[in-house]
Amino acid sequence: MSDLDDFKATYFDECSELLLELEEQFHAIEDGDRSSNRLNAVFRAIHSIKGGGGAFGFSDLVAFAHAYETLLDHVRDGRLELSEHVATLCIRANDIVADFVAAAKDGVALAPGYGADEKAQFDALTSGNDPDMVGEPMDEFDIDFVPVMVTLNGADETPEPIALAPAAADSFEAAPMAAANRWIIRFTPHSELYARANDPLLLFRELATLGQLEIRTLIDEIPPLADFEPFGVYCSWELTLTSATAGEAQIAEVFEFVDGNCDLEIVSVAAAAEPTDIAETALPSFADLAALELSEEALDAEVEQTGAAAPGLLLSFADIAEAMKPALKAALPVMPTPLKQVVAVPDDLDGDSDRRNGSEDRRNGVQSIRVDLDKIDRVVNMVGELVITQSMLTQQMDETLRTRYQELVRGIEVLAQTTRGLQDSVMAIRAQPVKTVFSRMPRLVRELASKTGKKIRLETIGENTEIDKTIIEQLSDPLTHMIRNSADHGIELPASRSAAGKGETGVIRLSAEQAGGNILIAVEDDGGGINRERVLQVARDRGVVGPDQMLTDEQIDQLIFAPGFSTAAEVSDISGRGVGMDVVLSNIKKIGGSVHVKSWTGKGTRMTLRLPLTLAVLDVMLVKVAGSPYVIPLSSIVETIQCGRANFSRMPTGGQVLQVRGEYVQVVDLAKRFEMSTNTERENRFVVLCEAEGGVKVALIVDDIIGQQQVVIKSLEENFQSIEGIAGGTILGDGNVALIVDVQGLKTATATHKSAA
Amino acid sequence: MESLAFKDDVSASSIAAANSLQLIAFSIGEQTYGVEITTVREIRAWNGATPLPNTREFVRGVINLRGTIVPIFDLRARFGEGVTSPTKNHVVVVMSVGDKWVGILVDAVSDILTVSKDDIHNVPEGNSIDTELLNGIVTHDSRMVGLIDLHAVVSGAKMDS
Repeated sequence: MSDLDDFKATYFDECSELLLELEEQFHAIEDGDRSSNRLNAVFRAIHSIKGGGGAFGFSDLVAFAHAYETLLDHVRDGRLELSEHVATLCIRANDIVADFVAAAKDGVALAPGYGADEKAQFDALTSGNDPDMVGEPMDEFDIDFVPVMVTLNGADETPEPIALAPAAADSFEAAPMAAANRWIIRFTPHSELYARANDPLLLFRELATLGQLEIRTLIDEIPPLADFEPFGVYCSWELTLTSATAGEAQIAEVFEFVDGNCDLEIVSVAAAAEPTDIAETALPSFADLAALELSEEALDAEVEQTGAAAPGLLLSFADIAEAMKPALKAALPVMPTPLKQVVAVPDDLDGDSDRRNGSEDRRNGVQSIRVDLDKIDRVVNMVGELVITQSMLTQQMDETLRTRYQELVRGIEVLAQTTRGLQDSVMAIRAQPVKTVFSRMPRLVRELASKTGKKIRLETIGENTEIDKTIIEQLSDPLTHMIRNSADHGIELPASRSAAGKGETGVIRLSAEQAGGNILIAVEDDGGGINRERVLQVARDRGVVGPDQMLTDEQIDQLIFAPGFSTAAEVSDISGRGVGMDVVLSNIKKIGGSVHVKSWTGKGTRMTLRLPLTLAVLDVMLVKVAGSPYVIPLSSIVETIQCGRANFSRMPTGGQVLQVRGEYVQVVDLAKRFEMSTNTERENRFVVLCEAEGGVKVALIVDDIIGQQQVVIKSLEENFQSIEGIAGGTILGDGNVALIVDVQGLKTATATHKSAA
Repeated sequence: MESLAFKDDVSASSIAAANSLQLIAFSIGEQTYGVEITTVREIRAWNGATPLPNTREFVRGVINLRGTIVPIFDLRARFGEGVTSPTKNHVVVVMSVGDKWVGILVDAVSDILTVSKDDIHNVPEGNSIDTELLNGIVTHDSRMVGLIDLHAVVSGAKMDS
């Protein structure tokens, strides 16, 4: 991968973060937080996207972002009010920017004129206020330069505001002018000097140890931006060293390492010949000059003080900065992150609170690194092994061992603790706050509200709750469907809400919390609740429920998860096609979770997702079939029954069914199904009643139930191939392999399975 | 023509270097078989395997090889000579076949042999199992060593295939 591709990848990574930030900030703005922080954050995000986009030549993106930015600028200045209309337009604009970024990333072209309408609207809005702003050249990056601290004394000198006279006076006392020699050093580095990683600053620091040093940077060579060569060398220096002790040889020694990579001229100037009034005006030393807090006033004062006496001798960093500005602008977008953050400081200087915000952002930037997910998964896997090995060790310890080798036992106990801690930490690396999904929902609710003509407010709680990244990725679809369902079926129209004595605005509450080893995510609305009569009627009409079957309220509520089930009279944009809630159920089951719905007539509905904290570890029941260990995912088990107490019935074809709680359930004898012989007597075997997808139950017969435990899922396909009825393998505490029973696969495959010859 | 001569030189020397083959030899009953040494990852004693349902009888099951699940093939059964009744003295040779690791159950590992590629004979036509599972035959110490075709051995493990 070339450097440019690397930069691009980083840029797109950053874009996705920035777009997420945009969503978040607008959500807060929508909630009434109109503080300048929010707007500035939005502005910063768009600005960064635009800046990077410009560097890679995504001109459509840049043009649009620029127009958007102009609008934001107007809003920020107060020239334009952040009305509902403007906010909606901004949210639309965020989408368009996201589309542009996605198009640029995938290298596809968007329809010509995409976003042109919105752009025209921006222009109309902004030109109304300030016609000058329209047609502003878009490559005008408004970056101000901020002085960067350098000191001649090395690392840990605290920057302090220039204290001109005293410092100068001190140094003159220490080195009286009369006894000093003056040297003028003209130093013009070649590009090789930089290529060999030399830094003039270090040389100047070294020189400064010899005596008092004045530095003048010659910047006449800096070309206009168009001709600017990023690796070009355009600065040279004229240094004046005043020292009582230093000779030419010592000065030359400083430059020894760069000999041949620069033009160096060392000229001795008789101290007496030089007019002393320069020194007497108390010319500040380089160290003073370079100090960070170089205020505008101080600078002006200095120039006034010294400028007359020695015109052109003094060149502050601010001047260099001014001269370098074009170059910096060109270099900015491709600079590595830390540098960019420093340069981005001006955006944060708008106000005190902003500055705090900015520094926080920077700190976050420093504290996080991007790591390939594969690398983390490798660590997760190895930690999984470690956990298994550790539990194997623990299992090996019996009483005699415990009494004989107490130290060893203690060591193993500490190891167990450390391993558990390690496992938690590693899992925490994969964990992400649910915010990443939640933040997409406000816009959805907004869209839904405008489409249905309802007034809906979204509340989010616990959005910092963390779950495994893989689970988060699987959450987006189910949550979208659930919120659609709440908005479409749950929340009533404002008129009927008023009639029912509720506020016109309905509330959908999205919450996340950790409960033990699970994450609970709930979507709650204060709407009308599930219309059970209607649901039951539709279910009967469609034959989902038999005509004389009696269902409890709870069972009726669960019907909404049946595939193809919809009570909507007609199919709308939003829902009614009958896909949706069954997608929720199947997606959540796929990641080992469960869905629960609870409804109160006239008061609202709450749907709760119960999710595992991580996918890497599975809660299972360990069973034995024909002497071999098998595990069944706990999430699919309904109950276990001893065969002796179970109520089996024979089918005409010789198959068996199990009667349990008024239901007839298909029976799968795992030993027979897996073609293994078992000696366990029928009476002593167990029925494990499992629920496959779509709520269909299947009764598995096993020889023995060993217990529950957590296992790490291993692939069989990695070295072999998939096997019917087996979902994978896992390694038990004793190092043996146990196979994971694929309940769904067993259920569906049974019908076609024929006993092998 | 100079370039052509140069090319000939190179290929001649590479042939000489690649002309010998090192084999790990193992036995099943009286018969010796070999696999190229570079494919062998590990040799371990038989320590049981978890049987896999719905597979052919020559798939002995799976073992845990440092956290990875590796299938074990019973070579005797694969040759149609009946299922091995393994003891602690039986050996599993773990090899890489393509990007997968598999183990084969054999009676014992006997030797490392160096043979010349020129000495590899084709398998005589006849028994289809032999021609299917062997790449060739070499003679070592006047004994016949069958070169196992690993891809063929591990294929057709499923019930229906």
